[in-house]
Amino acid sequence: MGQVLLLSAAFLVLVAISTASVLLVNKARDDSSWVVHTIEVENQTNALLLEIRRAESGARGYLLTGGSEFLADHQDAVARIIPDLDRLDHLAADNPAQVENLKKLRAAIEIRLDQFARETRFVKQGKLPDAAALVREAAASDTTGTIREVADAMRAEEDRLFNLRTANADRSEQLATLVTIAGSAMVIVLAAISIFLVRRSARARDEAEAALRDSNLNLEATIDERTADLREANDEIQRFAYIVSHDLRSPLVNIMGFTSELEELRGDIFRRIASLARADAAPALVPADQEEPELRGEDSRLSQDFSEALGFIKSSIDKMDRLINAILNLTREGRRTFVPERINIRELIEAIVSTLAHQVAEAGVKIDVDSLPSIVSDRLALEQIFSNLLDNAVKYLRPDVPGAISVRGRTKLGFAVLEISDNGRGIDPKDHQRIFDLFRRAGTQDKPGQGIGLAHVRALVRRLGGTMSVSSELNSGSTFTITLPINWSGGT
Amino acid sequence: MSNPVTILMIEDDEGHARLIERNIRRSGVNNEIIPFSNGTAAVKYLFGGDGTGQHHNGQALLILLDLNLPDMTGIDILRRIKENKFLKSAPVVVLTTTDDSQEVKRCYELGCNVYITKPVNYESFANAIRQLGLFFSVIQVPPAVS
Repeated sequence: MGQVLLLSAAFLVLVAISTASVLLVNKARDDSSWVVHTIEVENQTNALLLEIRRAESGARGYLLTGGSEFLADHQDAVARIIPDLDRLDHLAADNPAQVENLKKLRAAIEIRLDQFARETRFVKQGKLPDAAALVREAAASDTTGTIREVADAMRAEEDRLFNLRTANADRSEQLATLVTIAGSAMVIVLAAISIFLVRRSARARDEAEAALRDSNLNLEATIDERTADLREANDEIQRFAYIVSHDLRSPLVNIMGFTSELEELRGDIFRRIASLARADAAPALVPADQEEPELRGEDSRLSQDFSEALGFIKSSIDKMDRLINAILNLTREGRRTFVPERINIRELIEAIVSTLAHQVAEAGVKIDVDSLPSIVSDRLALEQIFSNLLDNAVKYLRPDVPGAISVRGRTKLGFAVLEISDNGRGIDPKDHQRIFDLFRRAGTQDKPGQGIGLAHVRALVRRLGGTMSVSSELNSGSTFTITLPINWSGGT
Repeated sequence: MSNPVTILMIEDDEGHARLIERNIRRSGVNNEIIPFSNGTAAVKYLFGGDGTGQHHNGQALLILLDLNLPDMTGIDILRRIKENKFLKSAPVVVLTTTDDSQEVKRCYELGCNVYITKPVNYESFANAIRQLGLFFSVIQVPPAVS
C-alpha cells in the first residue's frame, strides 16, 4: 500500500516537473524573443537615424558643390527613410509609448523630407540663396533636434524594455533550473525511500521465509516430542490406575474374608446365646450344631441387626469389587495393543445384532442397518464400541413406543461417520457430558449398569484416532455419532 | 496327614496370611507353616547364607507365594526357586490379587504349579485354599540331589 502511494507520488512529481519545465522553457523562449525584438527595434531606429543623417549630409554637399553624386546619394538615402520608418512602425506596434513616439517622429521626418525636397528643387533651379535660407530656416525650426530627441526617447524606452526583458528571461531560466533541480531531488528522495521500503520488505520476507523453514523443520520434532510426552503421561496414568486397582483389591480381600469370618462367629455366638437361654428355661440337652437356634425377644432383634449390618458390608464390598474390576478392565483395554485390519462394518454390526437377538425379540425392536463403509481399524475395539452402543439403545427404549434403531454411515474427508440412532427415552442435554464419565449415569435408574460402557466406548474411539458425540433430547431418542479414520495405521 | 511337608507362606498382608492359614487348617492340613512377610526374609531362608539353597536338599517344601511384595516381586523369587537345582522340585502356588492373563502366563512359563487369584468372594477363596489340601497328599519328598 505504502509502495503504491509512493510510486503514485513519484509519478505525479515527475509529471509536475515535466509540465513546469515545458512551461518555463516556453516562457524563457518568449522572454528571449522579446529581448531580440527590443534589439531589433533599437537597430531599426539607429538605421533610420543614419539614413536621415546621410540624406542631410547629401543635401548639404549638393548645396555646397552642386555635384550630382551628392544628389544621388541624398536621393538614395531619402528613398530608404520611409520604408525604414514603416518597418519601425511595424516592429514597435506592440508598444503604445513607442507608437506615440513614432507618430511624433514620422511628423518630424515628413517635415524634414519636405524641407529636403524644397532644398534640392531650389538648388536645381539655381536659386541657391533660397536654398540656403531654407537650410537656415530648417536649422532654426530644429526639426533635426526633434528627430534626435524622439529617437533618443525611443532608444531609452527600448533600453528600459531590454533590461526588463533580460531580467525576465534570466528569472525564467533560473526558475526552470530550480524546478528541474528540485524535482530531480524529490525524485531521487522518493526513489531512495522506495528502495529502502523495498529492501526492508524483502528483508522481512526473507526473515519470514527463514522462520517458516525453521518452524517447519521444528514442527515434526515438536510433534514427536509432544506425542512422546503424551504417551508417557498416558502410560503413567494407565500404570497408576492398574496399581491402584490392584492395591485396593488387596484390603478388600481381607475385609470380605474377615466379614465372612465374623458371620461364622455370629452363628456361633447366637447358638451359644440360644443354648444358654434354653438352659435357663429348661436345663435340657441342646444339640450344639443346631442350624437354626431359636432366639427370643431382645436376642432375636440383636441377631437381625447383626445380619443387617453384615449384609450392608458385604453388598458394599461387592459393589466396590465391581468398580475396581471395571477400572482394571479399562486400564487393561488401554494397554492392549490394537491391530489394524480391514473391517466390513456392516458385517461386524450384523454379527453384534445377532448376538443381541434375544433382547431384541423381547423388546420388540426393529434394527435397521444401512450400507456402511469398510475401514481399517481394530476389530475387537470396534466390536466393543458398537455392541455397547447397540446394547444401550436396546436397553433404554421407551416402554410405550415400539423401538426402532438405525445405523447409518457415510464417508467424509478420510473419515467414516457412523450414526446409531434410536427412538428411546433420550438423554437430557445437561447430562451429555456426564454420560461419558466413568461410573456416571443419567436419567431414571431403573436398569442395571455400572456407568462404564460409554466411558469405555469413548476411550476406545479416541485410541482409534476418532471422535464421538451425542445429540439427544429427553423422550425423543438419541443419536450417537462416531467419526473414525478410514485408514487407521495404529501406533497411537 | 503326617506328611513332613513344610509350607512356606510368603505373604506381606497379615490379613491374607491369617485367612490362608485358617483355611488350610480347616481343610485338615496340620503341616508346619512358616510365614514370611517380605521377600528378603523368604529369600534368606530359601537360599541360606551362601545363596545355594543346599540346606533344603531332600526336604519337602511347598511354597505359597504372593506376587506383590513390598521389597521385591514374587516373580523374581519364583524364577530363582525354579532355577535352583535343590529347590526347583518344590511346588509353588502363586496366590495373588492379579488375574491379568499376561501375569498368569508368565508365572506358568516360569514353572509355577498352581496360580490362584485371591477373589473378593470369600467362598471361592476358601474353596481354592482348601483344594490345596488335595495337593499335599500327592507331594513327595524329592530325592536328594548331589
